[in-house]
Amino acid sequence: MAAEKIRQVQLVGRKIRELRKEHKLTQVELSSRLGIQQSDLSRMEKGEYRVSLDTLFRILAEFKVSIGEFFEGVAKESITPRDVQLVQSFNALSEDVQREVEEFIAFKRSKEGRHEAGPDTTRAWEADE
Amino acid sequence: MNGAVTFEELKSRGEKAVRAGHLEEAQDLFDQALTWAREQGEQPQVDLGICNRAAVVIEMGRGDGEVPHLREILVRNVDPFICQLAAYNISRHYELTKNYKKSLFYARIALERAGVLGRRDWLASSHNLIGNTLLAESFIVEACREYEKALEYAPQEPTAARGQILDNLGYCRVLQGRHREGYRLLYESLRILKRCGAQRYEISVRLDLCFAHLETSRLRLSHRHGIAALALAEAMEDQASIKNALYLLGEVAHLSDDVEAARGYFGRLHRDFFPDAGYLPEFLLAVDIRKLVNLHA
Repeated sequence: MAAEKIRQVQLVGRKIRELRKEHKLTQVELSSRLGIQQSDLSRMEKGEYRVSLDTLFRILAEFKVSIGEFFEGVAKESITPRDVQLVQSFNALSEDVQREVEEFIAFKRSKEGRHEAGPDTTRAWEADE
Repeated sequence: MNGAVTFEELKSRGEKAVRAGHLEEAQDLFDQALTWAREQGEQPQVDLGICNRAAVVIEMGRGDGEVPHLREILVRNVDPFICQLAAYNISRHYELTKNYKKSLFYARIALERAGVLGRRDWLASSHNLIGNTLLAESFIVEACREYEKALEYAPQEPTAARGQILDNLGYCRVLQGRHREGYRLLYESLRILKRCGAQRYEISVRLDLCFAHLETSRLRLSHRHGIAALALAEAMEDQASIKNALYLLGEVAHLSDDVEAARGYFGRLHRDFFPDAGYLPEFLLAVDIRKLVNLHA
């Protein structure tokens, strides 16, 4: 089954602005950290500025945000180094073993009575089953 | 055969190789020409030799050491011909290293010198370069004006340079939602670049066609161009293009409901280029960043 498309567009600039303010950073401070011009960051926040993949992932790394923080409703928890390690370990497994792990997680969650309450970072994996 | 003749011959063959996009061959020829010039002790030829050699080295992404020599020539030499070459090459280096404001500064010097010389081909390349810096900074309308001027000045014959301008303008048209015009320009660019055998430049237009077809939901065609771009980029070890190809192919796969393939491409993007971004594959599966990404930045 195909992954459910929960993709959002054109929110990135607004979210960058929100996150910058949450982190109490001025445009000058953030643009300096990112190695870009303040005027470019301003246009990015207004959705007028397209960036390279390098710049996009530099911004995400700067805020250390999860998918959910960046796009509300997709996930609720920040990705911690442990989460990253888990994902990397999972990705290193063969496809068959990955499916076994997913089934095991689904089993454990059903035992805990934690039925799917909303989308989270594993949503795409589950939807793909 | 005297030194000057040999220099001219080598230079001419090097320029021909550049026009065909055969940069390694061009560098070898320009190296030989520079050696000849130094042996003859002719400073104008040495400066020209340095500029020619720098042009191909910069184009291959190894231009860090060239800029000081070019800047020195630009300051010392008053010949508009040499100054245009030096300024253009410095600008191109800054473009490739993504320092667009410096690139624009030197591109304007190159344009001004090209105007003094009245060289239409150099006016074309300078306008194209200014367009590149503007496009990289998302000034799409302004970039289009520069590319249109570049096309006016560019020789009509099918050269790799003309193919590149067509590619750049075509990509802008796609970004502007003028898909029909974009396709016409991009396919004309592809035809020219293929005819010239300029595979290094073909990568960009393949990526742009992949993006254009993605934007108009022609996923099979998008996939085809993305795969071709990836293969060429890998063969040329063009890391920036490999990154863009993996991202676009992931998008194509995802929109084709092939999540495993999408995860494969995004996973490789993460492993090979953004190893610290463990969230990347899931992020790209969850978020459509097409409206944010600039393939020419």
